[in-house]
Amino acid sequence: MTARYWEDYTVGEVFETEPVTVSQAEIIAFAEKYDPQVFHTDPEAAKDSFYGGLIASGHQTIGLAFAQFVRLGLFAENALGGPGMDAIRWTAPVRPGDTLHTMAEVVELRASRSRPTRGIIRVRLATRVGDQDVSSFITTTFLARRPAEDAA
Amino acid sequence: MSGLYLEDYTVGRVFETEPVKLDADEIIWFAERHDPQIFHTDPERAKDSAFGEHVASGFQTVAIATGQFIRTGAVDGTGLGGPGMDAIRWTAPVRPCETLQTRVEVTKARATRSDPGRGVVTLAFAVTTESGPVLTFEATIFVRGRAGEQA
Repeated sequence: MTARYWEDYTVGEVFETEPVTVSQAEIIAFAEKYDPQVFHTDPEAAKDSFYGGLIASGHQTIGLAFAQFVRLGLFAENALGGPGMDAIRWTAPVRPGDTLHTMAEVVELRASRSRPTRGIIRVRLATRVGDQDVSSFITTTFLARRPAEDAA
Repeated sequence: MSGLYLEDYTVGRVFETEPVKLDADEIIWFAERHDPQIFHTDPERAKDSAFGEHVASGFQTVAIATGQFIRTGAVDGTGLGGPGMDAIRWTAPVRPCETLQTRVEVTKARATRSDPGRGVVTLAFAVTTESGPVLTFEATIFVRGRAGEQA
């Protein structure tokens, strides 16, 4: 897909991203750096935890979901960073070998009051493993508006 | 610190965590997997981006902040995972070689109605670097209560 300007989106539009499978090695590598709890880092000790086995860090799940959205190429050079993220919810564990399917829905579009060259987009990313919802969150991103010379 | 129970999470209690220094390789490692935008993955092309320089993914700074809280030991053996986070605000970019300092404050703590052995704690995270404040957010965690231990 080619990069879009802020004007090119509509609220309610949905994008399906490529599925991604998470391995045990990736779960452990991530968690050792960013979420060192035994149910994320140690497959043996995880068996005795309340999860009953190794599960992925929730930070890894949302990061993988966002990466798949970025890889669609819609944002590319038109994304100008983001001020925040809201309503992150982890509703079921992700285990080694699980395949994540993420859908992205445009939930809000707003012009910037202070900067006429950019708009604000809010995208809800919802991730499933099979029929099970595992995570969702809403990202807010600044997007370039279509330059005036292109508008004619 | 050994793991804390619900009763130890008094509102207003503050945890100062160990500082973490980021470097460009670490920023790239994280971003290639979780936030592949050029201002995070490519220090050279980042110069022509909206940021004008290489900056860390916000997902990474959030994960570092919660990771440093975990490393205080506060949830060792007593933490029961977390249902979510809210109101994440990235107020300034984080550049390679900046040092992140995370402060965590308990803002709410209550027992769950359904399970007296389990509590819900809300933590306010504030992260600063040498340059000033960069990030704030709220995280909710489940923790064991002493009531559950006695049962």
